[in-house]
Amino acid sequence: MAAYILRRLIGAALVMIAVATLVFFMLRLVPGDPIAAMLAEAGSDEAREALTRKLGFDQPLIVQYFKWFGNMLQGDLGASIYGSNQPVSKIIVEALPRTLSLAFLSFVIALIIAIPAGIIAATRKNSAADTAVSLFAFLGLSMPDFWLAILLIIVFAANLQWLPAIGYEPLSAGLWPWLSHLILPSIAIGTGFSAIIARMIRSAMLEVLNADYMRTAASKGLPTRIILLRHAFPNALIPVITVIGIAFALLISGAVVVENVFAIKGLGRVLIQGIQNRDYPVVQGAVLVVSAFFVLSNLLVDLLYAVIDPRIRYS
Amino acid sequence: MTDKDLHQRAMEELKDAYDFDHRDPLYGLNRDDIRGDTISRRATLRLLAAGGALSMAHVLPGLRPGAAMAAGHSGGALDCAWSGVGEIVTLDPAQINQVLQFQIASNVMSGLMHIDNSLVAQGDLAESWDVSEDGLMYTIKLREGVTFHNGDAFDADDVVFTFNRSSDPEQSIHSRVIGNVAQLEKLSDLEVRFTLKRPQASFLTKALERASGRAMTIVSRGGIEALGLAQYGLTPVGTGPFRVTSHQQGQNLVLEKFADYYDPERPKLDKITITPVDGVEPLAAAMEAGDIQYIGGNPVPAQLVDRFKNNSDLTVDVKPGPGFQSVWMNPWRDYMKVTDFNKPIEELKQEKGFMVRLAIAKALNRDLFIQQGRLGNGVPAHGTINPAMGFYFDETLAETSEQAYDPEGAKALMAAAGYPGGDGFPEIKLQTTPNTKRDGQVVANILKQVLGISVAVDPKDFSVGIEEFQKMDFDLRLGGSGGDYDPDDGLVDWMQTSSKFNGPTRDKEAMPFGFFSEADADAATDEQSVTASPEARRELVQAANAITSNKVACGFLYHPVDILVYSNAVNVPADARIPGLHELDRISLA
Repeated sequence: MAAYILRRLIGAALVMIAVATLVFFMLRLVPGDPIAAMLAEAGSDEAREALTRKLGFDQPLIVQYFKWFGNMLQGDLGASIYGSNQPVSKIIVEALPRTLSLAFLSFVIALIIAIPAGIIAATRKNSAADTAVSLFAFLGLSMPDFWLAILLIIVFAANLQWLPAIGYEPLSAGLWPWLSHLILPSIAIGTGFSAIIARMIRSAMLEVLNADYMRTAASKGLPTRIILLRHAFPNALIPVITVIGIAFALLISGAVVVENVFAIKGLGRVLIQGIQNRDYPVVQGAVLVVSAFFVLSNLLVDLLYAVIDPRIRYS
Repeated sequence: MTDKDLHQRAMEELKDAYDFDHRDPLYGLNRDDIRGDTISRRATLRLLAAGGALSMAHVLPGLRPGAAMAAGHSGGALDCAWSGVGEIVTLDPAQINQVLQFQIASNVMSGLMHIDNSLVAQGDLAESWDVSEDGLMYTIKLREGVTFHNGDAFDADDVVFTFNRSSDPEQSIHSRVIGNVAQLEKLSDLEVRFTLKRPQASFLTKALERASGRAMTIVSRGGIEALGLAQYGLTPVGTGPFRVTSHQQGQNLVLEKFADYYDPERPKLDKITITPVDGVEPLAAAMEAGDIQYIGGNPVPAQLVDRFKNNSDLTVDVKPGPGFQSVWMNPWRDYMKVTDFNKPIEELKQEKGFMVRLAIAKALNRDLFIQQGRLGNGVPAHGTINPAMGFYFDETLAETSEQAYDPEGAKALMAAAGYPGGDGFPEIKLQTTPNTKRDGQVVANILKQVLGISVAVDPKDFSVGIEEFQKMDFDLRLGGSGGDYDPDDGLVDWMQTSSKFNGPTRDKEAMPFGFFSEADADAATDEQSVTASPEARRELVQAANAITSNKVACGFLYHPVDILVYSNAVNVPADARIPGLHELDRISLA
């Protein structure tokens, strides 16, 4: 198992290096001049030349790449070239807790809705409950998250004034300030994911419920609750876990629209603003972190398979 | 005092205030009137009258409607949203490149001068100043007893340090702003002297201004050394009324009252939290829910203005804004080519390329655009000089300019250029930003309707659009300026052959100039820059403005209006209302 994990980690490092290299060169191919964006109305030839020199853009691309790569290997992701030149690692470290908080709570909300909904839909196939779950799933999937976000803001922030419309408070400010700022965005994100996961659970459960061992369990006289939760649900989890793993990784980078609506500066927003400003070091650093999350969540999912299904062994 | 007495007193005060020729309020005002440590009430009233801003409120301050409100409580906390932006990327004046950044920095750091709500320069850290007869030397006595937020004393060395830092293009993007300064001398701990290469009328209002100027916004050497440049950009140390106590970039920014600010009456508030909000509906919801009480940053989205006006808990205050927006036309595209704008206008009107440019400018139904694109919020533009400049604004230009809206004339010009009803004219692209795509679509519809030409709206990220604009690689572009407090901002920065925006990175062999070049406009602009007499300067400013309008430097579209939205729980006195800026130190809670 240890050797397997080591091999996967080495593979993960190679994937991240490949992603970083690709992003470095692709960014330079994208139209848009970071110096022009930085100088905006203040541009003068002198300032332009000085900035170009200062940022090393006057050097050959390959020299710039190896310089950046060497620094990255030493843990230095560089500094933002825009505004006050914040270190990229600082920008990411500040944004990550917000993104992780949002992803975690969205995930929890998605699971709280999806697990019972999926199980009920599967066990009561073609019933009114199944139809209701299917309808919810269609709605959840077809509603754009930003639209739901705005709807939630209008109802719960502007009209009822129960929850704040915008902003983020860290957990260190207290549990309720943290939670109150995250409830609406998490519902906006979690609803869509819960629809996907509920559909997944339903189809996986339907497959498992028809298996021979389920009939055996029923013929042994086990109560339905035990049959469902101890025998059916764990066996239905393998495909669900795969989707959940991908979904969690997607949440790390993909919550940008909702982050924007609720004025939360998470990793997705860092990435988008970096791209808009052609802030190369920020984009490179953020992509590196996002790709690390994808690779690690995939690894975690693979390891979870073995925990859920003891027949799966890695060597 | 009865209503009748009040009315009589007001009329008497107004009569006394106008002890000058109202057709030319600046007549008789000399250099002595506008130098020293203060500007007299009489001179101030004349300047206000010249700017068209003199009202009963100014002559009889105790009677103005907001006077009672202005005496709000000291203390308390204010939550603000900074609209249309995801983060405040820097507050270091040397790196600030957006109005919404210096709106905040100006409350944290002082300058030598600061414009007031009539756009007249007042002393900030300059206690008094003297200008030599030839207009080349500015001797400035500095305010005594001023300290930085970190406890360091402010003196002439800080002015010299700021000047040296801002002059170095490696350290500052604003070296050009003080490029006309030949020398800065420290005369004593509290006295400095600037020697200019040539006279500059806008020196006090532009180069030394603390907000829009930025080059001479006084920074703390000790602060920079202690914090490092990156942190200084987030939490700068200044001598301003507020100090930055926390800045989570992209999340929020906390300002707290600086107890040792040189004016003991300010700031009124103890604490201000600023949250950047880059969305229309969240901004509205946060305002309506009371999560925020004041909106700064980019202009309030046009679609929210009526909604806020209908909310009795909110105040919406609309004033002329500093700036202009235009449809820029590339004179190097074959179908609207003009290679020499110096020809007399009648000769230019014979050229097909100029006919097309003039047709586009004449076809711009500015009123319709403001109604549809800006939802009624804007003033038709025919030049760079905006109504917020008051005294310099030429109200007759809307009638006299060659660009005045004339759909029939525009159609005739297109026909004469060989494109009757737009036939045979190629489809051209109108570059916008993602945020101004809607404005672009309205312009495209107007041009289609009037001229029959097809214009495809082409939204591009700012970094891409600005690069193409500077390279002169565009057909049409929608854009302009947002913080013009002095005529130099529009004319020098945009309309001269050497202007910083005028195709600076173009292929200079293929394109000898950028989007416009006209010798008379250049000369008038140069001359107004060195003309101290306000009347003479106005004449030159309006002459240059008229040339750029008549010869279609661009199709001038509209001047933005400055819309301030705040909760009724907030007092915004008249002296805190400077278009485009936010004088947070003068604001209080009701």
